[in-house]
Amino acid sequence: MAQENKPRRSIFSWALRKAAWGLALTVATGLLLLAACGDDEEAPPAETPEVAPTVVEVPVEEFPPGTELKLLQWSHFVPQYDKWFDPFAEEWGDDVGVDVTVDHINLADLFPTLTAALAAGEGPTMIELIIAASLFVEGVQDLTDVNEEAQRLFGPQIDTCTANSYLPTTDTWFAFCHGWVPDPGDYNKALWSQVGFPDGPSTWDDLLVGGARIRDELNVPIGLGLSPEIDSEMAARAIIWSYGGSVQDENECVTINSPEVIEAVEYMAELFDKTMTDEVFAWNAASNNQGLIAGELSYILNSISAYRSLQKIDPAASDDIFFVPALTGPRGDQHASAHVWQIYVIPNYVTGAELEAAKAFLLHLTANYNQATFNSELYNFPAFKSTVPQLYETFESTQFGEQPSWLDRDPFGSRPNDKLKEALSTAEDWVTYLGFPGPSSPAASRVYADRVISNMMAQVALGDKTAEEAVAEAEATIEEIFDEWRDKGYVGCT
Amino acid sequence: MRVPGLRGGVRVQLRYLLDREGLLGPLMLLPAIIYILALVGFPLVLAIAYSLSDVTAGDTSLDNFVGLDNFSRIIKRPEFRRALQNTILFVVVSQVLIIVLATTLAQILSQDFRGKAVVRFLIILPWAAPIALGTIAWLWLLDSEFSPIDLILRELHLLGPAGLLGRDAILGTDTNLVWLGRERLTMASVIMVHVWRLLPLSTVILLAALTTIPRDVLDQAEVDGAGFWRTLFQIKIPLILPIMGIAILFGMILTAGDMAVVYNLTRGGPVYYTQVLPTWSFFIGIEGGSLAQGAAVALFLLPLLLVVTILVLRLARRSEVT
Repeated sequence: MAQENKPRRSIFSWALRKAAWGLALTVATGLLLLAACGDDEEAPPAETPEVAPTVVEVPVEEFPPGTELKLLQWSHFVPQYDKWFDPFAEEWGDDVGVDVTVDHINLADLFPTLTAALAAGEGPTMIELIIAASLFVEGVQDLTDVNEEAQRLFGPQIDTCTANSYLPTTDTWFAFCHGWVPDPGDYNKALWSQVGFPDGPSTWDDLLVGGARIRDELNVPIGLGLSPEIDSEMAARAIIWSYGGSVQDENECVTINSPEVIEAVEYMAELFDKTMTDEVFAWNAASNNQGLIAGELSYILNSISAYRSLQKIDPAASDDIFFVPALTGPRGDQHASAHVWQIYVIPNYVTGAELEAAKAFLLHLTANYNQATFNSELYNFPAFKSTVPQLYETFESTQFGEQPSWLDRDPFGSRPNDKLKEALSTAEDWVTYLGFPGPSSPAASRVYADRVISNMMAQVALGDKTAEEAVAEAEATIEEIFDEWRDKGYVGCT
Repeated sequence: MRVPGLRGGVRVQLRYLLDREGLLGPLMLLPAIIYILALVGFPLVLAIAYSLSDVTAGDTSLDNFVGLDNFSRIIKRPEFRRALQNTILFVVVSQVLIIVLATTLAQILSQDFRGKAVVRFLIILPWAAPIALGTIAWLWLLDSEFSPIDLILRELHLLGPAGLLGRDAILGTDTNLVWLGRERLTMASVIMVHVWRLLPLSTVILLAALTTIPRDVLDQAEVDGAGFWRTLFQIKIPLILPIMGIAILFGMILTAGDMAVVYNLTRGGPVYYTQVLPTWSFFIGIEGGSLAQGAAVALFLLPLLLVVTILVLRLARRSEVT
C-alpha cells in the first residue's frame, strides 16, 4: 500500500501504549471477575490472564495533516466492546495523525445509511456491516490489497470470513471481514436433564424428541424463529444444510428444490407442531434472547450474547444455560451459519489518504484482535486465528505464568468455567455462511434479505402450503433473483 | 405601498405591478410550487426513472434502461399479490373505522360536558406523539409472551386455562392470544393501531366541520321535531360531507403510504401476511438493495391513489352546499 514509504513512528511509544492497554485491561478484568465471583466456591479465580500484546506490529506512518477516518458501525450487542473500541480507534488516530470519529447506530439502520451514503456520494469512510455485504458490491472499494496484506501478516483467514468478503465470480475482495460470531445451540440443562438429555440435544432428532417432551411435560417450548428476521433465517438454513440441502451449489446453480430441502421443511413443520408455540411467527431478532433470559425457552439457536446478558441479570439462572455445537442431520451433516460477521466496506467515494488510513486501521485492528475478542466477552471470534492464540491454546502470561485458553477457562465467570469449550472450540468445523456451499454472492444475500427461506418454512408450519408447494414457490423467487444478478455478471452457473 | 430605498418612479412602478392580480397570484403561489416540485415532483420523477432502470444500492447510475422488467418481475412474486390485497384491506377497513369513530367522537366533543378539555387532550395524544414511539409501545402491549392485555384477560378469566364458572375461557385456553403471530389477529392488530393513530386527525377535522353548521338550521330541525339520528344523518352529515371527503382523502393517502405501523409491529409477518406495498418497497429497495424494484413497488400506489383522490374530490365538489 502507499503508506509503506512513509516514516515509521517510534516503536518505543507503540510498545508503551500496548503495555498500558494490557495493564488497564488486566485491572478491568480483575475488577469484573471480583464482582462476578462473589463468595461462591465454584467461581473462577479472581486473577485473570492479561491480554497479550499485539501479535504482529503493523508498520504505521504519519498521514497528511487533516486526514479523517469516519467509522460507522452498529451498537455492539456486548456494550463493553464499544467502550473499548472507540478510544482504541481514536488513540490509533492520535498516533498516526488521523482524525478518527466513531459513530454507532442501530443494527437496522446500517443498510439504509449505507444506501443513502452511496447515493449521495459522501458519508462515512468505513461502514461495518454484519451480514449480506455483497449487496453493495457495485458501490464499494476493491480491498484486495489489504486482504492480501492481512493474510501475509496473520496467516490464512477462516473460510466463513473469506466467503463474506470475496466474490470468486469477479475475483474481487469487496470487503474486509475481521471477525465472526459462532451460533451454537443454547439450552437449559435443568430442563433437558429431566427428559433424559443431560448434555443437551446433539441431533435434530434429539431436539424434536426432547423438545416435545419438555413442552408437553414441563410446559416450556423451544425457540427457533419462524418469522421474517435474521435468527429465523439462520435456523432455517441450519436445518436445510444439516439435511443435506442448500439454496445453491458450489457453482451458484439454484438447488433449493431438492428432496433434502423438502425433507428439512417437513421436519421444521413437525418441530414447530410438537415443540413450539405460535409466538415464533411474531418474533424479532431479540425475542429468543428475551425468552431464554426469562426462562421461557428450553433451547435457542443464538450467539453467547443472550447468556452474557443473563450472567449479569441473574447469575444463578445463567448457571443452567449450556451450549451444544450445530445439530447433526439424519445423514450426519452438521452445519450452522455464523450468527453474524464483522465486515467493513469502504464506499467508492473514499479516496487518497482517507482510503489509505482506513486500510491501515483495518490491519491495526486485526493485529490487536485479542483485545477485540476479549472486550466482546468472547462474542467476536477472529477472522485470523493467529491473532488471538489465547482463545484456543494455553498461553504464557507475563503476570500469571502459564494460563489455560479462554475457552478452557472463561474469563467472564462461567460456572463451570469450561462450559463454552465444547460448542465454541469446534465451531470452525461446522460454521457456514450465506450461500454455502457456494459464495455469499449478491444473489445469495438478496435471498436472505427478502426472507425467502424463513417464509418458506413458516408457510408450511402454518399449514398454508405443503412442503413441495412452498419449496417450488421459493425456487421461482430465488431463480428470479439469481437471474437478475447473473445478468450483471456477479453470479455464475450460466 | 412604500418600499424604503426606492426612488419615487420605481416605487410607483412596483406598486403598479403588485396591484396586478395576474402577477401577484403566481408570485404568491411560487413558493408552494417550488416546494411541491422539489419535495414531491423530483422524487416522483426519480422513482419513475429508477423503476425503468436496473439501479441498485451500490450503483445508482441511470445508464441501463430496462423498460417494464422490474414491474413484470415483482408482479410474479407471491408477496406482491398479498401486499396489494393487504394495502387495499388496510386502507378500506381502517378508513371505515376511522370515519365512524371520528364522527362519533366529534359529535361527543361538540357537546358541553365536564372534563371535555381532558378528553380532547387524550384524543389528540396519539397524533401528537411520534409514530415510532407509539408503535413501539403497542409492540410491548401486544407482545406474544408478556402482553399486559393478555394478562388482564387472564385475570378476568376470559383467556387461559382457567375460564369462568369452570368452563373454558371465551378467548381460548392458551395463556396468550399471540396478537402478532396469528394471521387474522395480526392484521386486526395492525389496523387497530393505525386507527388509534389516525383517529385524532379525522376527529379534529370533523369537529371543525360540525362547528360550521349554522345554528339556525339545527334549531329549525329541533323545532320541526327531528330526533338525534335524523338530525345526524339528514342534516349534519350531508352538510359536512365535503369536509368529511377531505378527511377521508387525507386518511386514505396517509394510510396507503404508511409503513411505520407495519414495519415496527410485524415487519410484514407472519410470513408476508401483513405486508403492505410501502413496507415491501422498503424491504426490497433498501434492505434488499434493489432500488429499481423498490421504486416499482412504490409506484403501484400512484394510480391507486390518483383514482381515489379524483373520486373523493369530485364527490366533495358535488356535495358542496352553496
